[in-house]
Amino acid sequence: MEKQQGFGAWIDARLPTLKREWNRHMAEYYAPKNFNWWYYFGVLSMVVLVIQLVTGIWLLMSYQGSAEQAFASVEYIMRDVELGWIIRYAHSTGASAFFIVVYMHMFRGLVYGSYKAPRELVWVFGMTIYVALMAEAFLGYVLPWGQMSYWGAQVIISLFGAIPVVGEDIVQWIRGDYLISGITLNRFMSLHVVAMPIILIALVVMHIIALHDVGSNNPDGVSIKKYKDAKGNPIDGIPFYPYFVIHDLVPITVFLFAFCSVLFFMPEMGGYFLEHANFEIANSLKTPEHIAPVWYFTPYYSMLRAVPDKLGGFMAMAAAIAILFVLPWLDRSPVRSMRYKGNISRVMIILFAANFIILGYLGVKAPTAARTVLAQICTIFYFSYFIGIYFWTRYERTRPEPDRITMDGGIGTFKTLCGFALIGILVVIPLKVVGAEGKSCGTIDCDDFDADLGNNASLQKGAQIAVNYCMGCHSFQYSRWERVADDIAIPHGLMMDNMVFTGQKIGDLMTIGMTEEKSKAWFGAVPPDLTLVARSRSPEWLYTYLRNFYADDSRPLGVNNRVYKDVGMPHALLDLQGLTECAPGPMMADNGGIKRDLKSGDDILGDPCGRFAQVTDGALTASEFDAAVFDLVNFLTYIAEPMAQQRKHIGRLVLMFLALLLVFVVLLNREYWKGIH
Amino acid sequence: MDTIDANASDVDAADVNTSRRRFLTGATSVIGAVGVVGAAIPFVASWKPSAKAKAAGAPVKVNVGKLEAGARLVVEWRGKPVYIVRRTAETLAAVDALGDETLKDMTSIDAAQPSYIKGSARALAGKEDVLVLVGLCTHLGCAPIYRPDVGAADLGGDSWMGGFFCPCHGSKFDLSGRVYVNVPAPTNLEIPPHSYESDSIIVIGVDAEV
Repeated sequence: MEKQQGFGAWIDARLPTLKREWNRHMAEYYAPKNFNWWYYFGVLSMVVLVIQLVTGIWLLMSYQGSAEQAFASVEYIMRDVELGWIIRYAHSTGASAFFIVVYMHMFRGLVYGSYKAPRELVWVFGMTIYVALMAEAFLGYVLPWGQMSYWGAQVIISLFGAIPVVGEDIVQWIRGDYLISGITLNRFMSLHVVAMPIILIALVVMHIIALHDVGSNNPDGVSIKKYKDAKGNPIDGIPFYPYFVIHDLVPITVFLFAFCSVLFFMPEMGGYFLEHANFEIANSLKTPEHIAPVWYFTPYYSMLRAVPDKLGGFMAMAAAIAILFVLPWLDRSPVRSMRYKGNISRVMIILFAANFIILGYLGVKAPTAARTVLAQICTIFYFSYFIGIYFWTRYERTRPEPDRITMDGGIGTFKTLCGFALIGILVVIPLKVVGAEGKSCGTIDCDDFDADLGNNASLQKGAQIAVNYCMGCHSFQYSRWERVADDIAIPHGLMMDNMVFTGQKIGDLMTIGMTEEKSKAWFGAVPPDLTLVARSRSPEWLYTYLRNFYADDSRPLGVNNRVYKDVGMPHALLDLQGLTECAPGPMMADNGGIKRDLKSGDDILGDPCGRFAQVTDGALTASEFDAAVFDLVNFLTYIAEPMAQQRKHIGRLVLMFLALLLVFVVLLNREYWKGIH
Repeated sequence: MDTIDANASDVDAADVNTSRRRFLTGATSVIGAVGVVGAAIPFVASWKPSAKAKAAGAPVKVNVGKLEAGARLVVEWRGKPVYIVRRTAETLAAVDALGDETLKDMTSIDAAQPSYIKGSARALAGKEDVLVLVGLCTHLGCAPIYRPDVGAADLGGDSWMGGFFCPCHGSKFDLSGRVYVNVPAPTNLEIPPHSYESDSIIVIGVDAEV
């Protein structure tokens, strides 16, 4: 103890800045006592920033920023680098988590008037962070060099083409090429990895300095500086260190629990955090059927699409972000917090939140006429909100502000939940009106498929079918033979003798001998690599697709497919299944059931291809064939994410640990805060 | 103004249960530290050789059937040169005769070599004529030159019984890769794990079963 003090004094004599700044920002920074849970998102965004910086540094150790290697190097991180998948999933989950906490943080600012004088600069720096973050996220999304990376970049960069006269030149200058290429990828990597993080960190520092210079706002929106104790410290404030540092440990732990739940149990988050099409390598000649930006950009993307004019759409999008910057000067209310603002403000903030979510939802969906109309209405409302705020904040009747902060103010838990429910209802109703989804598997609905990744017998059979029937044309070039053998319990000797191609070693990647030129000559297209097909399509899709080939003489290969119409692939499993042809079968009624004759109750066989009839027999019966396809798709599901089982196992341990940690931080927090009223 | 509780500005000192606070702070810190160590695992593990590196470092098979007595073969294993030398019975006898006035570690106690490598020949039992070693000097990692020429004038004349000479800093090794006295290299040359798949095929990187 003595020695520490001595060392502290020694440092303090030579570097007094350290202690001075520590006191200014931590030990003697008085924050209002009445912070509620909305105030957690600031510190959480710092936590995510650290996660992104650390995982990003580590990803760069194995990532290669060239058009030839980028996609493969990401799979290298996912498969070959030990536990590299945790680092990659942490980074991809962190990107979305960043926007979730930042959106909540911004919404808090809107509700409690944190942007109003004297905190205009805090807001402006914060908005700049938000814009920088969007740039950082966009640049980073290009790096995996998947289809969505490529076409997302194509669309976003093309936006600049809307600028009159110089637009096309700017687009070419940004790309550095006549198309998005490795040159573009290289410069984006440099910006994502070096330039933007430096800018972001600098902006975060400015954001915090600006905040600490004027002091934090709070849910009541009244200053705590009016009443001070004998020492000159605000009576209603409490030092940030240790009180709020310890207080924040609770939400940080809860956040990490949620973060790890996604990371370990649903890293794709249903295709919203990692989009399915991005598991396919970038191809400059083929746009994915459905293209949408990642969810955090979609509100603006909706506005872009809602305006039926290239330049107009671009301007609407830019204005939607720009208008947020001037919010401090639009709000003319005498009070800050929503607690004391008038009824118009309260109704409008709810509508605004719902409106923003609707725009976000529409942005991920394919546009239909009805959806476009809804997006247009929402876009108009978005701008009306900011214009209107200038007037209603001036004229609406506000409630009297208290003299000091209150510890029991606000609407309470129940009403907060009601508020969220109300926003939810306001989001769902308009979307129901314009909803309409196509079939999930081409012309038909997908069949159910539940992968059984613990079943080695099934995986081994599937591997055998994959090698014998698929690998004549398709490679699994991101996977290694040895990994497959070890994961699904095939002895190395057996693997070498029966599966691994001549001349390949067990540690090699599962490539094939067929060259691209040859396959182009035979099939007109290069058969895609299948390592990730279960992630870019879906296991359900594959299972349905492989069982829906039928005879069709009009096609060059003599077969067609109900899931993938006019597919260029031959019926590779013909030997096993035998040939089938279309037969009249039952059809779906509009209400989703099967159409039946009203009198007899029999199915109406109105669909000319509702059933299959066997033309020639295969080596397997129909049910044996289904089982074989199950094994094959099970194997494809495994190989698309070979660490899936390990991921969940580690995830359970991590969540148990975090639950334990939560108990202790809650107790610690209660101990420190029990005397504070 | 006068209704304000003057004590509200800071925590009432009497309320603080210091020992409870200290215990909870300590316990939370310990668990937090465990968490930090746990979180560090993937970052540490990701620096280990990847599956790609391991595949590139897979065992190498070498056919030594046609390797003549006195000749040397250099093969690459894990990016390192591995020397394979076929020695004659006379050479082995000469090597065995060297004592600790010439060699720093004649019994190879400090040498990096598998447990099944024994004796002055430093080779597998029954295969004493074939020497397999990593051709990197234990001093600073240069590749020593193979100098089987007994009595070479530049290497000490009559006292040179043939062996390896490192051109970087002058370290000398005998024909079993044992280091001479009074040279900078600290230990004998490393012997990699190896075994015989058949009479003439050596597998470098796979341990012999003893």
